[in-house]
Amino acid sequence: MKYLSALIILILSFICTLSNAEGQNVPPARDKYQLLTMPYNQRPLTLYRGQLQARAGYKFAVRSQSFNADGDLVYLKNNGTGSVYHYYFISLRYGLTNFMEAGAETNLLRRGIREASITFVSTTLTSVDKVTVNKLTESKGLGDIFLYTSFRLPVVYKWFDLGATGGLFLPSAKYEPRKPANTITTVSLASENTSVINLHYNNTNGYGVPVCLVSAASKSSFRKFSAEVKWEMRTPVKEGKNIRWEETLSEKAFSYSDESYSYLLSNTFTFDASLHYQATGWFDINLDGSFFRTKGGWTEYWGNKYENPEKRLINIEPGFELQISPGLTIYQVAGFPLNGKNCDAPFYVFTTLSFNMFPFMR
Amino acid sequence: MKKIIIIYLLLLITSSAFSQTEKLLVPSDLKQQTIITEPVTLHKGFFRTGLLLDYRVADRYFNNSGDKQYYYNSIWASKSAYGITLQYGITDRLQVDLISEFMNTLQETQNVEEDPATNTTSITVDKHRGIGLGDSHIALKYQIIAEKERKFSLSARLKGTFPTGAKNPRNIKSENQYDLPVGDGTYALGLNISARMIAYPYSFSGYLAYTYNFTGEKIFNTVDQIEKQFKLGNLFETGISWNIHLNDWIVLGNELNFYDEGEGQIENAPSAQMPASWAFSYEPSLIFQVYRFRLGESVKIPVLGKNVPADPLFVLMAQFIF
Repeated sequence: MKYLSALIILILSFICTLSNAEGQNVPPARDKYQLLTMPYNQRPLTLYRGQLQARAGYKFAVRSQSFNADGDLVYLKNNGTGSVYHYYFISLRYGLTNFMEAGAETNLLRRGIREASITFVSTTLTSVDKVTVNKLTESKGLGDIFLYTSFRLPVVYKWFDLGATGGLFLPSAKYEPRKPANTITTVSLASENTSVINLHYNNTNGYGVPVCLVSAASKSSFRKFSAEVKWEMRTPVKEGKNIRWEETLSEKAFSYSDESYSYLLSNTFTFDASLHYQATGWFDINLDGSFFRTKGGWTEYWGNKYENPEKRLINIEPGFELQISPGLTIYQVAGFPLNGKNCDAPFYVFTTLSFNMFPFMR
Repeated sequence: MKKIIIIYLLLLITSSAFSQTEKLLVPSDLKQQTIITEPVTLHKGFFRTGLLLDYRVADRYFNNSGDKQYYYNSIWASKSAYGITLQYGITDRLQVDLISEFMNTLQETQNVEEDPATNTTSITVDKHRGIGLGDSHIALKYQIIAEKERKFSLSARLKGTFPTGAKNPRNIKSENQYDLPVGDGTYALGLNISARMIAYPYSFSGYLAYTYNFTGEKIFNTVDQIEKQFKLGNLFETGISWNIHLNDWIVLGNELNFYDEGEGQIENAPSAQMPASWAFSYEPSLIFQVYRFRLGESVKIPVLGKNVPADPLFVLMAQFIF
């Protein structure tokens, strides 16, 4: 009996040891934690089936320079017309299958652009009259809601992927500018009258018409290195109508009237190419180069249609992706403008937090 | 055989007991603690050095009525401060800090003046830059109630400010052509009382601080260039913060803080150049602990205020403990 008991204990402990050893084996492929922690160089272009991703980002841009029509750099700081740009963005993506995802995103913008102040002086023998005009164009508000679907090659990602996206910006945002909030203050002294007029225009954020987006992307990886390229085009579905405010100053008070005008948004093209290095499983550093261009489109002024100026901008963006926990990842890029035409050239830092989960997978 | 079984079972039990033993902390581990797990003052003999970069531009401000508004005239101003901090643990409860900073301020304005009668236009561009060593501080921090597991700590920090930065405008060529001062030009003494409690993976803290500014003398007008006696308003600050470990080495920090600064005086009279001000701000931060290195970034967002900048203040921080 003693021997039997000892034998049973030994067998049980041996089984326990074996079961522990079993636990050290490679886990079954593609459990949700493995998918959530998949490094960039092993990840396909779209989300996995059942994966839900919520992202929130903030971009802070310092608009201290711009490119003029000749492509020359203009230092706005020197004119006192530099400004900053706050851009917030949220998106929700869901993997319908392992090669198809759907998503929605929108943004919130806030910026104020100053123009050079001008003082008009009128001198007489007995007095000096000065009128200073300051002009600020503020843009703020929610952007349009963008709905899209993305597809990729229906194979397991090993080293190459190809994808395409199609979507539509719904004109959900209030796009008509609000009434200006101009003010005038006057100080009168014995021999000098000084007036300061602050023109404050209130623009919004939104296209005002539906805008289509199509894009194509490809990604390839070699060991710890990856390269991704993406081409994107946005084109308006139709012409739009908007209003333009006009002000009249009379008896130190402003009155406003709005005037309707037509417009056709320009087509925009963006080409992105990025190189990634997966330093460890949770840290990826990358260098992105982007080329942005607009073409076509017009805006109506006094009954005539004027072609929108073509814009171009080349940016370079070093950045990183850092996995904080299986569900949480942070992305950060810094953008430096290199070349452009008819375009602001801001330096910016864009930080995005991404929350990932598989709500229906145990 | 019975003995063998008993010995075997005892070995099993003791092996389990061993696995429950806490890991002993050695000095190298103590130097890798995060802002949540480290004590509020440095351990005895530990030395930490750090670099701090602050950056802010002037785009909007809270006016005298507390409304947030843009600067309307064509002006661009930015302020960068490159701080250096040296911290040393004299004992396990007493720490000394030396702090100084290198300032880089810029202010550019453009004025276009048109006279329709003579059909003339004149453009004046003013560019003021202030570069140089700013004011320096020395601080002593003492743990009045030392931190114990699940109990709060209470510490006091006494900070002295020395006007090592240039207090007056330099290279004055005209009323509008000069280099900006980079220092306040006054001595100050501040006391900060703070409490902290750790409930891993969280930590919670709160503080109260008061800074008394002594009188000083400096040039306020670049035309007469006469040094006048002045006194900055005294400063009251308070705040609460709660931090969370997102993983073993990344901390998400959150702080709500409030400050109120009294009205300054020139020649013993209240001055419109230094109005009373207050601000209520939120400051989220991410701090990465990579062995002995600590890297952090934060943004201080003014939510409410009066007579203060309304633009976010960006802070980058790097520390290394020896």
